[in-house]
This record gives sequence, structure tokens and C-alpha cells, in this order.
Amino acid sequence: MRTLPIIIASMLAAPAAAQSSAIQFTEYDLDNGLHVILHQDASTPIVAVSVMYHVGSKNEEKDRRGFAHFFEHLLFEGSENIARGEFSKHVERAGGVLNANTTGDRTYYYEVLPSNQLELGLWLESERMLHARVDQKGVDTQREVVKEERRQRYENQPYGSILIEVLKRAYKEHPYQWPTIGFMEDLNAASEADYQAFYKKYYVPNNAVLVITGDFDPTAARTLVAKYFATIPKGANVVQPSIMEPPLEGEVRDVVYDRIQLPAVVTAYRMPANGTPDFYAVDLLNRLLSNGNSSRLNRSLKDEQQKAVYTGAFSLPFEDPGLTIMFAIANAGVDIKALETAMDAEVDRIRDQGVPAEELEKLKAQLETEAVQDRSRVAGIAGNLATAYMLLGDTKLVNTELDRYLAVSSEDLKRAANTFYNRKARVVLHYLPMSQKNP
Amino acid sequence: MNRHRMITARSRATMIAGGLLLPALMTAQLDRSRVPVPGPAPVVNMGAHTTFLLPNNMRVIVVENHKLPMVGVQVRFDIPPMIQGGRAGYIDLVGDLLAAGTPTRDKATIDESVDRMGASLFTSNDGLYANALKKHLDGLMDIVADVITQPTFPEVELEKARKRAMSEVQQRQEDPGAIADAVGRAVTFGNFHPYGEVTTEKTLRLVDRAVLIGYHRKFFRPEKGYLVFVGDITEKEAKALAKEHFGKWKPKQVSHVVNDDGTETIEGIGIVQPWKHVATPAGPRRVVIVDRPGAAQSIVRVGFPLNFQPKDLRALNAQVMNTILGGGVFNARLMQNLREDKGWTYGTGSDLQADRFNGSFHTTANVRTAVTDSAVVETLNELLRMRDEPVTTEELELAKRYMAGSFARSLEDPRTVARFALNTYLNGLPEDHYATYLKRLEAVSIADVQAAAETFLYPDNAVIFVVGDRASILPKLEPLSQISDPAVIELDHNGKPYEEELERVKDRTAEQIIEHYLEAIGGRSAIATIRDMRTEITTELGGEATTLTQWYGPNNQYRSLMKVKGNSVQEEVLDGMRAVRKVPAQPDEELFDIDLLDLKQNAYPVPEVFIKDNVERLILSGSTMIGDRKTYKITMMTNAGTSLNDYYDAETGLKLRRVDLKYMYGRNLKIITDYSDYQPAGGVLFPRSLVQSGGPVGSMTMQVTAIEVNKPQAVGFFNTGLPAVVDE
Repeated sequence: MRTLPIIIASMLAAPAAAQSSAIQFTEYDLDNGLHVILHQDASTPIVAVSVMYHVGSKNEEKDRRGFAHFFEHLLFEGSENIARGEFSKHVERAGGVLNANTTGDRTYYYEVLPSNQLELGLWLESERMLHARVDQKGVDTQREVVKEERRQRYENQPYGSILIEVLKRAYKEHPYQWPTIGFMEDLNAASEADYQAFYKKYYVPNNAVLVITGDFDPTAARTLVAKYFATIPKGANVVQPSIMEPPLEGEVRDVVYDRIQLPAVVTAYRMPANGTPDFYAVDLLNRLLSNGNSSRLNRSLKDEQQKAVYTGAFSLPFEDPGLTIMFAIANAGVDIKALETAMDAEVDRIRDQGVPAEELEKLKAQLETEAVQDRSRVAGIAGNLATAYMLLGDTKLVNTELDRYLAVSSEDLKRAANTFYNRKARVVLHYLPMSQKNP
Repeated sequence: MNRHRMITARSRATMIAGGLLLPALMTAQLDRSRVPVPGPAPVVNMGAHTTFLLPNNMRVIVVENHKLPMVGVQVRFDIPPMIQGGRAGYIDLVGDLLAAGTPTRDKATIDESVDRMGASLFTSNDGLYANALKKHLDGLMDIVADVITQPTFPEVELEKARKRAMSEVQQRQEDPGAIADAVGRAVTFGNFHPYGEVTTEKTLRLVDRAVLIGYHRKFFRPEKGYLVFVGDITEKEAKALAKEHFGKWKPKQVSHVVNDDGTETIEGIGIVQPWKHVATPAGPRRVVIVDRPGAAQSIVRVGFPLNFQPKDLRALNAQVMNTILGGGVFNARLMQNLREDKGWTYGTGSDLQADRFNGSFHTTANVRTAVTDSAVVETLNELLRMRDEPVTTEELELAKRYMAGSFARSLEDPRTVARFALNTYLNGLPEDHYATYLKRLEAVSIADVQAAAETFLYPDNAVIFVVGDRASILPKLEPLSQISDPAVIELDHNGKPYEEELERVKDRTAEQIIEHYLEAIGGRSAIATIRDMRTEITTELGGEATTLTQWYGPNNQYRSLMKVKGNSVQEEVLDGMRAVRKVPAQPDEELFDIDLLDLKQNAYPVPEVFIKDNVERLILSGSTMIGDRKTYKITMMTNAGTSLNDYYDAETGLKLRRVDLKYMYGRNLKIITDYSDYQPAGGVLFPRSLVQSGGPVGSMTMQVTAIEVNKPQAVGFFNTGLPAVVDE
């Protein structure tokens, strides 16, 4: 017999369950083309304000590599109403955090603030969009900072150059061939006019999406968005590059000598563009290979054969066709050719035998958990909404993308493995210790 | 009535504004130079936990939060730090292998079960953290309880983990960040401290299964344990699960005796050296480096240990102080100075660690090699400034508001509430410690911050720890040390005094390597054409411009002149047989025996041509890496009784380094000279850049500013002026 308290408890539980099932959001456009997405969640008195611009390293000229990322640094420098160094002060003084990041496809800025500081966040982002200002001291300083970022993250770090080395061999035409951090000679060569032109071209409302998530009043938020963003003039239409990268002709095989002790094998294959049906199949293959201790590379290469200390397989989810990359660091004393053979054997096993249904179920259970975890922070939700709108073309995918994964069948995986893990069109890198460089 | 009319009027105004007038009004009114004024600050809701004890005294903490259908489970044991001694690394292996087998599940089964539930499981040496969707909680708890109460640490899994750990230790030597962490701790706390022990291949070899089992039995005990549930779970459900899985857990007692010599014997673990001494800032400021030859960046850490516990009443003052200095905010002084003003680094900061056993402080910056010493100086200055000057109101307010905001933001994650509860128990904090946090934070004053800086910052006792290119940074770092002999302590990647690793070379001889070198710089015949040579070397000695001019003549004739600020300070002349040293205002001194031989054997433009005449034994010691260059090491016992070690690049043949071991000024010196920038003169390559360290005057960088060949000197130029010796 159900007692009253239990019935009440179950009634109380119901809305919570409903709330967690999907991310509720509204979206609309301002006249100047700025797309706005609002997602309200009052469980914590904080608010995330973010702007994603549809500009990444793929929008760069061949002799200005690293410009998009460099801009990310410059755009913390200030505006006509914010003196150099004050941008971050406004945020931190309000008890907030701020940061930004850049990929091949987009640049993303965000603040997470106490809920009473929404207007501050909107003011800051509108200043950044309308009339960011950079002085020479800012340019000079940030150029040095970026040099150190490059050293710290890519050069003074074992295996830190992997992505750079893979990209430059995996693409010949497409700007994905260079890393977002770019090259110092290009940044050194840039003039003030270059900066102005880049800013004017890409930092316009019609090339951006503004996302507000967290604890706010939607009506007030709309009014504030209008107040700070409606008057920002629309820019010229931004045309995204349409560079068709031809398939790799044959296998590109190379040795990279690095300051490492343990050799590593890297293989990279082209993969379909993010959001296309086969993208999800290949992304699932990467999870099959390396997500969790029971994944194939971890179990086989690390546990059973003890050939590797680390294995990984991951997708570069790009707007244009990206890459799927496999990576293994050899256990001490393991021959690098044996490691490569073992990696390839795992790919062959998928191509020949497919993926058993129960293993596919495991991947889907992992995805289901991830989908719930993705909803745990308003800042994370903001990023996912912006990405779904700008790079996948449909904000609703923030809730429905999981279905696309769940729709992938064992047959699809086998077919995708046979189509995309093409040994005649891939990059294979052997990372070897400097000491093995023959005199 | 009145009231009613007012409301009506207001609604109409809102309607009009919302419908038509508002956008226009807004545009006209928007003054972009005005910083928006925030509304009233939101109330920060702390969230609550409930707690109860199981019959075996295991404490259960429950934080209910039904926003997402997830549950996190944490098990944590209160374990005091232990000195591992020769087996360093075994405690980490306990964590690595906790989920590697139980009586009923092998590792593959555990891994498979966790992944099938889409769950996560992270184990550590003091417990584990796991999470899963609510619907899998029962299954997850089966595994959690199994690995916590009866892990078997299977031999076969230990061997795999050991192999991986040894590979990772090997890899560490090429990973500056990993070196900075591992050796940085050793440098801060000392090697004989639970926080300072460095795991090496040697210590890993000594770990056996018994000690892992022993550690688990001793420390994984319900009365020292906490079981934490966070998320979509009720207290009632938590109680049922806790009882079911841990209620009956009653491990046997483990014997633990104190021996007469002060050591302790713990059943299963064996004899251990108890750790009693809390490390505190002590000793003069010193510099410790780990060499990363050729590194473009240095990792710089300035730090010291502290007796600083979380329950310290000044802890919050200290954290505000650290936020202003370098903790977390972009506007911290270190970040503004080293990054935003100087552009020396991508990121820098300071970490002030309150720890109930032993706290610590350290700054970190990855800076380009050329500014290593400057970064240290600026860091020390910032530490001093915190102590010597009050912070500004603006800085204090920013730090406090930022910390208040972080506190509020952290509560978005329900695990924070659980962490607060756990911290309160583990660290013996007052029950309302977190409830009063914002109020206490608001009360921190400028004077509190300065007092905290005086209490917790010790720039004069700091260890300046640098992982970077020794040859480029050593000379400039020496003056920052307040110790001597040596001023700079050099450690290897394991935190041990630097020792070279040599590999046997079988496919060539020492003579062949020397011939390869002579060939590489131009060949014997080209070298033979150089009869006369003058070189000029410039450097700085004690801040003064110094030049050393050397003349080489035929038949082992040689003369040198050293000038500081244009004044001669020393001259040497060798006429091929006898030599004299002249110092102003002192009688000339003739050189004999070892001094004479030492001078003679180096008094050739390329001494290696005459190596057979001057060297008693020539040994190929092996190959070793200098930076990313493979080199052959030739050890020479000279006729002068000194030991010279030359390092030749295996690929180019060029000499990269000489290590000269000699007894001078009453002590053994190890003088290291690095050669680079080879350029031709008279058809022969000579190095133009020399970096020397370990000599009697410390380290210096020398530039060869001129080389002139085959301009013979006037007759008598190499006369020593010594009276003729009469044979007796």
C-alpha cells in the first residue's frame, strides 16, 4: 500500500526527471544578424555569457597562419570604453571567470558571472564585438605571450608536436594543414592594417552567436541583449572557405625525432565532416578503440600484449572533413614496428569481423552517461548550444545528437571501418628518441 | 484605490515601452562608457548533507541533488603520509591496482562491467571515486564494495603496472613538466619526506605484492573510512546501500609496533621509518637545476615548505594574499608582471597549499630561456613586495569578490557540498567553516593580508628550482643563490645528484673519434698550415668587461694577456720549453711540473693534433646524450695528471663539451666548458661561443670575438724573460 509521503515524494520527483530529459532553450535573431540562444536554469545563481564567432584557422590566409588564435589573445586587450588590462578586471572584480579558445572553425569567448552581473557580461561582449581596440603594446606583448604558449604546449612537451606533424602531412590544400597556434614568422609579419581588416571581416554580429545560460529572467535578458547588441552594425556576409581537399594519394610515412624516451606510433585517416551520418560511425569507432579500460586498444595493447603504456583514438570534429587519429606510446623495449602491427591488427579486426551487438550497447551506455553529464554545468551547456547552432546548423542537436549516435548499427561500423580506415590513404608517423637519429 | 491606480499606470508604461518606445529610448540612452551596475547580489545557497555512522564506524555522507539522474560515489580513507624508503612508488601502485582484481572478478571483468554501465571508476591510494546513471547504481556499488574491501593485487597485474610505471619513469626524463613536479616536490620537502620521495626504476623493482596487500589491510579500514553519495539518491536509499555493501565489513586488526631504534614494524608492510619532522622554510636561498640541454623554455619554481594547516585561523587571510600574488586570477601580480607587462610567459601563478600534515608554497612560470634569471628576480620581488607593502584596496576587493564568486560557482557541482563535509571531518574544521566562509572572507583586511604575507612567504629561504638549459642559464642564476660550493645544486631527472648515463660503444675507437673531429674541423693538412694564431675572447668577470688575448706560435710557443676594464691583470708566456706567469705588482713566477705541462699541452691552436704526446691514456668511455645530440665521451689522463673528458658529436664530429677535473685553490673543481657556433678561420673551424661553469670564478659565457691566422709575431715576442738555467 502506498503511504502518503511516498506519493508526495514521487510527485516531487517527477518534474526533476522531466527537467533533466532535455535542455530547454529559445533562440532568435537580431536585425543585424546576431543569433541569440537563451537557456534558463536557476539551480545556481550564476550566469554564463558566451559568444562564438565563425572564424578559425581555416579562415586564415596562407601567410597569416595563427591569426585567428592571435586575435583571441588580442580581444582581451580592451575596447573604446575599456582600457588595456581592464577587461579581465571587470569580470574578476565581479566574482566571475573568463576565457576563450580557438579551433580550426571557430573562436569562442565566455564569462561565467554571478547572476546579478548578466548586464556586465553583455556589455563586455558587445564592446568586444563593436569596437575592440588594440594598442601596439598589446600586440607586441601578446605576440611574445603566444610564442611562449607555442613553446610550452607544443615544443617543450614530449609528443607535443604530434598534431602539427600530422596536419601538415594530412592536408595539402585545406588550411587545416596548419595548427591554430600558427607560425611566429606570420604573426611577426602582420601589420596593423591586417588586424583591422580581419576584425572588420569576421567580428560582426551576423557571424556570431550569443548564448546566455543559467539563472536569469528571460524577458529582462532579451531587453538587455537588444540594448547592447542591437545597434552593432551588420557586417558584410562572411563566406566560409570551400576548399575541397583531394583524397590522400597513398600512405604518407615519416619519422619524427623528438625529445622522448619511448617511441610512439601515430596513424591518421581522413574522416567525414562533423554532423554527417558517417561522422558518428567513425567517432563511435574511436570510442570502441579507446574509451574506457575495456576498450580495444587499452585491453589489447596495454593489458594483454603489454606493448603500450598509453593508447588513444580520437576524432578531430571539423566542419570540413577532419581526421581520426590513433596514437600509442610503446612500453620500454617494445619494437615500434610491432606496436604499429598491433594497432593495425585491431583495425583489421573491426574491418573483417565488425562489432558485436553487445559491444555496441556498451558504447551507447557510455554515450548516454556523457549526454547527462554534458548537462551538469551552465558554461558547458552554453558551449554545446553555440556549437550545435554554428557548426552543426541546428541548435536542437544539443538534445538530439545522441539519437544520431544511437542510430548507428553494427553494420554501419563495419562499413565505416572499411571505408575510412584506408591504409592506402593515411599518415603514419613514428616518433623516435633523438638518440636513435643515425649519425 | 490609490494603490490600484498606480499599478495600472505602471503596467501601461511597461506595455508601451515594451512595444514601441523602448528600443529607440535605449539607443538614445545607452552610454557605453558606463559600466553596468549590478543588481543585489544573489543569495548563495550552500546545499546540505546528511551523515550517519555504520555499526563498524564507517561514516556515510549523503548529498541529495536530483537535477540529473546521476549518482557519484566516493570512498575515502584517512591515511597518514608514510615514508616509502627504497620502495618509493608502492603507494601509487596500490591506487593503480585497487581495481585490478578481487576474489570473484579479474581486471578484465571489472573493466568490462564498469564500461557496460557507462560508468566511471577512478582509484587512488586512499580510496576511489565512481559515478553512473542512477539506474546502474546497484551494479556500480557491487564493484565499488568489492574493490574496496577485498582487492587481491594479482601478481600478473602488478608486473604489468610495474612495467608501465618504469616506462613512465624513463619518459619523465624527457618531460620538463613531469620533472618539475616530481623533483620540485623533492626539492621542497627533501628526499626523506613522504611528499618528497621520487619514484625511480630502482625503487619500483623493490615493490612486491605483499606490501600492497599490507598497505591495504593497514589503512583501508571502516573506522577510518568515509562513504560519500552525491546526486540522485535519497538518504534512505543511501542508508540501504551503505548497510548492504559495507555494513558487515570488519577487517582483522593489523599489528603495529614501535621498535627500540625508533623504527616501526607494521604487519604486512615491514619496517618503516616513521615520518615526524614537518618541513619548514629553512636555510639560505639556493638554486637547484635539472639540465635540459637546448631547451627553449625554462620551468621556474620558487618555493618552500610550510607548517600550514587548513584549520589555521589565518588560512583565509593567506589565501586572499595568494590570490593577489598569483592564485587563479588573471589580474594577480605575477601574471600581470611576467605575462601582461613583460610577455615572458604564457602563464604563471602561485600555489599556497594548506595541508594538515605539511603545507607548502611555490610559484611556477614557463619562461623563455633568455629571461630565466629575470623571471626569478621578478618573482622574488613580488614575494618581497607582498611582505613589505600593503596591497591596494582595489586589489583586495578584486581578490575577495573573485573568491566569493568562485565559491558560489563551485556550488553548481553537488560534489562540492560533499567535499566540504569531507574536508570538515578530515581537517578537523569547525562545523560552520564553510557556512561562514563568505562572511569571514568579507572581513579580511589589508592588514590581515600583509600579516599573512609576513607569516607565510619566505623569499630568503626559498629554493629556486629551474628545469632548463643549464649552459645558458647557470651563469646568470649563480648570483641569485646565497650558498656557495656550489652555488647551484645540479640534480638529475630523479632528483639525485647528477650522474651521467653512458652506453658502451663497440663500433669505433677513441682514436677514430679524434680523427673524425680533426677531419670535421678541416682536416690535419689544413690545421698544419696554421703556424701562428691570435684569438680574442671577451666575457664579463664580476660585472666587468674582460678580454683574453692568446697568441700561438710555432713549436709550442704561446702567450696570453688578460685585461679587465682595459687593465692588464695577468700575462703568461711559454717559449716552447719554459713558462712564466706575470701579475702586476708581483714578482714573475715560473711555472713547473703540473702547471707547466698543463699549459704546454693546451698551447696549440688545435691540441688534439698532438694528443699522443700529451696524453697518457685515451679511453672511449661511451656514448651519452647532450641535449638532443648523441655524443662520444673520450676520457684522457694527461701527463699533467689532470683528467679531461671531451664530448664529440656523433653526427658532426665536432667537440661539444669538455669537463676538466682538477685540483685548484685547495679544492676539487669540475670545470665544464660547452662549445658552440663553429666558424672557419684559416680553413679550420673553431667554436666562437664558450660557456664555462664550475671554475674558480663561477660561470661565464665567453665570445670569441676575433681569430687571426698566420700573422707571425716579432722575434722575441715569446721570450719569457727568465734567467737561463745553468746545468749543474
